[in-house]
Amino acid sequence: MSRYLDPEGLEPSKPSACSRFLRYTWKTITCIFSHIFLVSLVVSYCIFGAKTFETLEKDHEMEVKKNISSIRGRIIDKLWFNLTSEPYLREENFTFLIVKHLKEFEGELLKAMNKDGWDGEEDINKVQWTFAGALFYSIIVITTIGYGHIAPKTTLGKVVTIFYAILGIPLMLLCLSNIGDVMATSFRFLYWRVCCYICTKKPKKPRRVRQRGGTIRREGGRGSYRSKTQSLRRSVRTSTRSADSGFDYGDVNPLSHSDTEIRVHEELPPMKVRGASLPRMKPGQNSRFREMSTVNQRPNQYGAGRVQQRGGSLDRRRAPKVWDPSLDLNTFPDAPVLCNKYALEGPEIESNHIQRGGIRRSFERSRGRRAVSMPRTHNYLELPVPVSPARSTEDLRPRQSESLKRPSPSRHHASPRIMSPLGYGSKSLYIEEESDTEYFDDGMSFESSRTTRIRPVPIWLCVFLVVSYIFAGAFLFTAWENWDYLDSAYFCFITLTTIGFGDFVPAKRVTENAEMSIALCSLYLLFGISLLAMSFNLVQEEVIANVKSVAKTLGIIKSDDIDDDDD
Amino acid sequence: MERKRSFRRRKQRKPFSEKCKDYLRKFAAFMFSNVGIIGLVVGYTIAGAFIFTSIEGHTEQEVKINILTSRNQTINRLWEVTYNLNVLYKETWRNAVEIELFKYQKDIIEAARNGYDGSDDVDEFKQWRFAGGFLYSLTVITTIGYGNILPRTPWGKVATIIYAIIGMPLFLLYLSNIGDIMAGSFKWIYAKCCLCRCCPGVARRRAERRRRRALQLSIEYINSRVDSRNNSDLSQASVHNIHMEEYRLNSLGGSSSDDEEEEDSDGVTETDVSYDSQAVTVPLTICLAIMVGYVCGGAILFSRYEDWNLLDGSYFCFISLSTIGFGDIVPGDKIYSGKGYELSFIFCSMYLMLGMALIAMCFNLMQEEVIHKIRTTMRTVRYILRCNR
Repeated sequence: MSRYLDPEGLEPSKPSACSRFLRYTWKTITCIFSHIFLVSLVVSYCIFGAKTFETLEKDHEMEVKKNISSIRGRIIDKLWFNLTSEPYLREENFTFLIVKHLKEFEGELLKAMNKDGWDGEEDINKVQWTFAGALFYSIIVITTIGYGHIAPKTTLGKVVTIFYAILGIPLMLLCLSNIGDVMATSFRFLYWRVCCYICTKKPKKPRRVRQRGGTIRREGGRGSYRSKTQSLRRSVRTSTRSADSGFDYGDVNPLSHSDTEIRVHEELPPMKVRGASLPRMKPGQNSRFREMSTVNQRPNQYGAGRVQQRGGSLDRRRAPKVWDPSLDLNTFPDAPVLCNKYALEGPEIESNHIQRGGIRRSFERSRGRRAVSMPRTHNYLELPVPVSPARSTEDLRPRQSESLKRPSPSRHHASPRIMSPLGYGSKSLYIEEESDTEYFDDGMSFESSRTTRIRPVPIWLCVFLVVSYIFAGAFLFTAWENWDYLDSAYFCFITLTTIGFGDFVPAKRVTENAEMSIALCSLYLLFGISLLAMSFNLVQEEVIANVKSVAKTLGIIKSDDIDDDDD
Repeated sequence: MERKRSFRRRKQRKPFSEKCKDYLRKFAAFMFSNVGIIGLVVGYTIAGAFIFTSIEGHTEQEVKINILTSRNQTINRLWEVTYNLNVLYKETWRNAVEIELFKYQKDIIEAARNGYDGSDDVDEFKQWRFAGGFLYSLTVITTIGYGNILPRTPWGKVATIIYAIIGMPLFLLYLSNIGDIMAGSFKWIYAKCCLCRCCPGVARRRAERRRRRALQLSIEYINSRVDSRNNSDLSQASVHNIHMEEYRLNSLGGSSSDDEEEEDSDGVTETDVSYDSQAVTVPLTICLAIMVGYVCGGAILFSRYEDWNLLDGSYFCFISLSTIGFGDIVPGDKIYSGKGYELSFIFCSMYLMLGMALIAMCFNLMQEEVIHKIRTTMRTVRYILRCNR
């Protein structure tokens, strides 16, 4: 835990270039470390499981195999006994007798196959529960595919499987979403940096996509309702992630309050403010736009531009073409950026609002100290505002004293704004995050500005990727396993969707190089699932927005329900 | 999705009938509402059952006919063996019969892999009757995939793929929807029943809250004094003091549940005991208990129904609810008895649909709780850090 806290502890005390560099390297290291750590954890967990299951199940399988020949022997003995007990051999009699016994034999074989997991092979050297088989089994369990071609048959094996799955499935999910994130980031990077430099002859394209995203967003979600679902979704996604994301969430809190400060300070002389508060802004930004660990990795020089942009995008409804980042940089340094929906109502309210913002801010200061034990809906208030050296406290003094005279109106003003979108409430958890967002805007600007920054990869590309992956897999399996093409495609689909019927399993009939094909299949499977995770990651937001807009046009108020449709 | 398309189609005809549009809209809204989604999923599954039974119904018959012919052949060969050996020596006869039986065994294995279930009656479909088809569709869209009933024809496979592509998002939608509702209602119940006045811990908590409020007031006082006193410089010592005090407060309040507190804590004394039912986080232990209880309950029910022992029952429930779905233990396994077969299919389907929603609910609740816990911890740690600086 301390490793997550260290940068934060260092940072506000000396926000120099050196420390920033340190923090970025630290973040990169922790990022890489956590990925590698997770993957290696999963791998070692699988190997551990393989060892365990091998020892647990191998003997039982051997026994079953030996048992088969004894079953046959018994049947033959019975037949012989019946044969010799008959004085005359007549065909009808014989047939009648034998049918009975053969049926019995059949029943016993089926029982051996279904109940005891016999694979139909009598050779004792060819057991299913070899190390490779057990490894495959562990992978199958923790990915929840569950072919069932090998299943534990001993009591202990079943119990261990249950606990193994309880621990392993979340671990696997964590790892997959992590890998999916990384892949999504790199794919996005690849797509926009590589592919779209090639097709620079139509520079319209990214622009168009971006704007589409913006408009969808705008019509897709009104106000905080949208932000709720967004934040929800985000946190849902995060929750499948590691504890370290949880810690990252923790990181958000100390820093996010600086957003509000920035808001106030942009009304003050802008240059100074930006210099002062931007460095601290970035981490909050990072963790807020959770999906990308990219931002951690590339040191963003546009820090200033982005913040401005974000601030600028608040006024989006007034000036929709503010989207261009460069434009933002130039246009907005001295414009008073009010991160509030009241700002929309016109310039005369703006001035009013400046005051209000100041009041609120200073109120926060005073509030911050005693709010510690306050209900956590006010979490953004709870944080005592660290007194940054660049801040001219004398600016704030008068306002503060002024605001102290009437704390309750401003509070009453503030609280319903925070609480009102939270009528749904069942997500009380996200209230904090919500109110963070809510406080400097109604949260929408965030989402929209995120779309500008994280430019979506077109849906068709992701779908195409997955489909082609399935077809490529079908082709490969046709070559490896001698299935026909439809069967292979069917197998790939059933596997990647984790349905896992188990009618086609690699290395079930071809037994020469079972280990090889098992290894190939596991690789295909793991990569495929992370590819699916990646494309979900890429497509998700846009699809949700699309579906939501459709739902809006349909007039379904509960558009919340719809958005999971394509999850 | 298909609803969207149908709407678009309808949209062109819309101008001359506003009513139609309204009805459609209402219908769509209803279908995606809480009740409708259940009906939608069930209807989709039933449709799937019919589709698959019609596509796959005859493969089973073929497998059975194959086995019958193979058996007859074996008998004939055995007769020949016996007939050809004029004098029956045990050893030679045994060896000859062993070979024949081995061949027959291979046939059986092949047939068993193709879904032979051991019953002889050619005209009786067991697997691909309605119940079997229903369970099959359900296992496809829930991604459980037992694999005890399988499509054998190419068209069945293609239909499965298409069916899954549409069905899985639908089921996810169902899960999230029902999970949300259940989580909300469970929270409400929890807040009303477990955190009410009659609880013994409440008195203690209330006392604590009162104490905290007193401390708050004092801190406010300190605050205002500090602010009025030093306009020019905030002495580091006083800030430090305040932070210390804050931390003490926080640790004092953090241990007890600060989540059920109303946000307007000053002046509004009557909100003291009324908890916002939605702001309550349900403890992890209760969620776990619910899941374990559901699995165990299922185990007991199934062990009564299916003659499994308790371990097998809970193993089955767990494997099903985690959507692993090995299919080594499947309901309706009493193949030879024949009775109670369909009923257990239906029962199992209901158990699965309810159970997965319940699991979704529990995950929903647990996730909130865990995130909340982590945040609280982080906050505490932050205060510690800030104090030390």
